[in-house]
Amino acid sequence: MWQSFTPYIPIILSAISNTLMLAFFSFGIATALGILMAFIEVFATKTLSIVVDWIARVLRGVPLILSIFLVFYGLPSIGLVLPPLCAAILGIAIVDAGYQEQIFRSAIKAVSTRQLEAAYSLGLTRAEAFLYVVLPQSFRIALPSWINDFTIVLKDTSIAYAIGVVEVFTQAVHVAQVIMDYMWPLVFVSVIYLAICYPLSILSNNIHSKLKSMGMLGSGV
Amino acid sequence: MVSKLLVVEDLWKFIDGKPVLRGVTFDVNEGETKVILGPSGAGKSTLLRCINLLIMPDRGKIVFDGEDVLRKRDIHSIRSKIGFVFQHFNLFSHMTALENVTLGLTKVKKLSKHEAEKKAKEALIAVGITEELWNKYPAQLSGGQQQRVAIARALAMEPKLILFDEPTSALDPELIWEVLNVMEKLAKAKMTMIVVTHEIGFAMRVANEVLFLDNGVILERGAPEQVILSPCNERVRRFMDRMKYVYNVDKGYAH
Repeated sequence: MWQSFTPYIPIILSAISNTLMLAFFSFGIATALGILMAFIEVFATKTLSIVVDWIARVLRGVPLILSIFLVFYGLPSIGLVLPPLCAAILGIAIVDAGYQEQIFRSAIKAVSTRQLEAAYSLGLTRAEAFLYVVLPQSFRIALPSWINDFTIVLKDTSIAYAIGVVEVFTQAVHVAQVIMDYMWPLVFVSVIYLAICYPLSILSNNIHSKLKSMGMLGSGV
Repeated sequence: MVSKLLVVEDLWKFIDGKPVLRGVTFDVNEGETKVILGPSGAGKSTLLRCINLLIMPDRGKIVFDGEDVLRKRDIHSIRSKIGFVFQHFNLFSHMTALENVTLGLTKVKKLSKHEAEKKAKEALIAVGITEELWNKYPAQLSGGQQQRVAIARALAMEPKLILFDEPTSALDPELIWEVLNVMEKLAKAKMTMIVVTHEIGFAMRVANEVLFLDNGVILERGAPEQVILSPCNERVRRFMDRMKYVYNVDKGYAH
C-alpha cells in the first residue's frame, strides 16, 4: 500500500542529485564529442570524415548496458579502474555522442546553400561564412533535437542501476525490496522523470515551431 | 569617357560533362544596364554566377575593373565589389533586415558598427525600407520587402556592378512592381547592372543592350526594341512572340 511507501520518499528524492549529475555530465561530454565529430565530418578530408562517420555509427549501434559494462568491467583489464558513477557517465556519453553527431551534422547540412551563396557574394571567406551564417543557424536548428536528446539521456541514466550507482531508479528498487511492493516506488520515480522531461519537451516543441515560422527549417536547398 | 567595366571572353562551363555555357562573349560599360533574356536552362544563372565566381568557369577570360578575375587569388575582394541579388532573396534568416545589410560592411569592409549601421540605413531608405521594418526578421517581411532588403544589402557594399538573377520570379505579381521600380531607379542613377529576367517591359524601358541566351550561346544581341520587337533569329522570334502574349507588350510600347 502507498501508506507504507510514503516514509521512504525522502530516500528516493535524495538520489535526484546523482541522477542529474549522471545526466548533465554524460550529456555534456556527448555534446562536446558529437560537435567535434560533426565538424570533422563536414570540414575534414573525405577519408577522415568517412572514418568518423563509421565511428559514430558503431557508437550508436552499441547497446547502452554493454557500453557501461565495457567501461566498468572491461577497462580494468587494461588497468583503468573507474568508480561506478564515472563509469556510468562515460558509458552513457560515448553512446550518446554517436546520436549527437547525427543531430549536429544534419543541422549544419540543413543550412541551405542559398545562405552560403549570399554570404560568399558579399565577399565573406569560407571561414567567416561558417562563423557568422552557418553556425548560428545550425545551432538554432539543432536546439529542439538537442533538448529532446537530453530527455532521452536523463531516462537512460536509470541503467546505471546495473553497476550499482545510487540514482533515483536504484533507490526506488531498493525501497521496493524493503517494503515488498514495487508499484508505488516505481510510479513515484516515473513521475520524477516525467516532471523533468515534460517541460523540456514543451520547450523543444516551442523552439521548433519558432524556427519553422522563421523559415529556418526549409527544404535545405 | 566610357570604359569597359567587365569583359567576358569565350566563357565555357561544363556541368556533369554537359556544356552549359558555350563560348559566351560580351562586355559591359560603366553605368550600363544589360538585360539577359532566354528560356529556362539556357545558362543565364550559371553565367551570372561565373562572373562573381560562385561557379568557376572551365575556360575563357573574365576581366573585371581591369583585373583578370580567374587569375586572381583573392576572389573575396572581387566578390565584395560585385553585388548579387538572388531569385529567392537569400536573406540571412537569423538576422534582422538591418543586420543583413551590416554583415558585409563590418566583416568584409571592416567598418565600425556605428558606421556600418549608418551606411546600412541609407541603403535601406534608398530602396524604400523604412525604419519600422529595420528590426524585423526576413520571415516577417513580404517577398517584395525581402528582395528590396537584399538589394540594399548589395548596394551598401558600394559595388561597381550588381548582378540580378531573376529578382522578381519568386514574387507575387503585385510585388514585382516595387522591386522593378527600385531597379529602374538604380539604372537611372547609372549603377552598372546585369539583369537576368523575364520582364521584357522592364528590359524595354531600362536596358542599354539585351542579350538573348539559349543553350549556352548568345543567339542575338542588340537594342531592346530590336531584340524584343523584331528579332532576326527564328528561335528568338518564337520566344518573344510568346513573351509578348504573356506580358501584352507590342510595338509602340517603348517611349
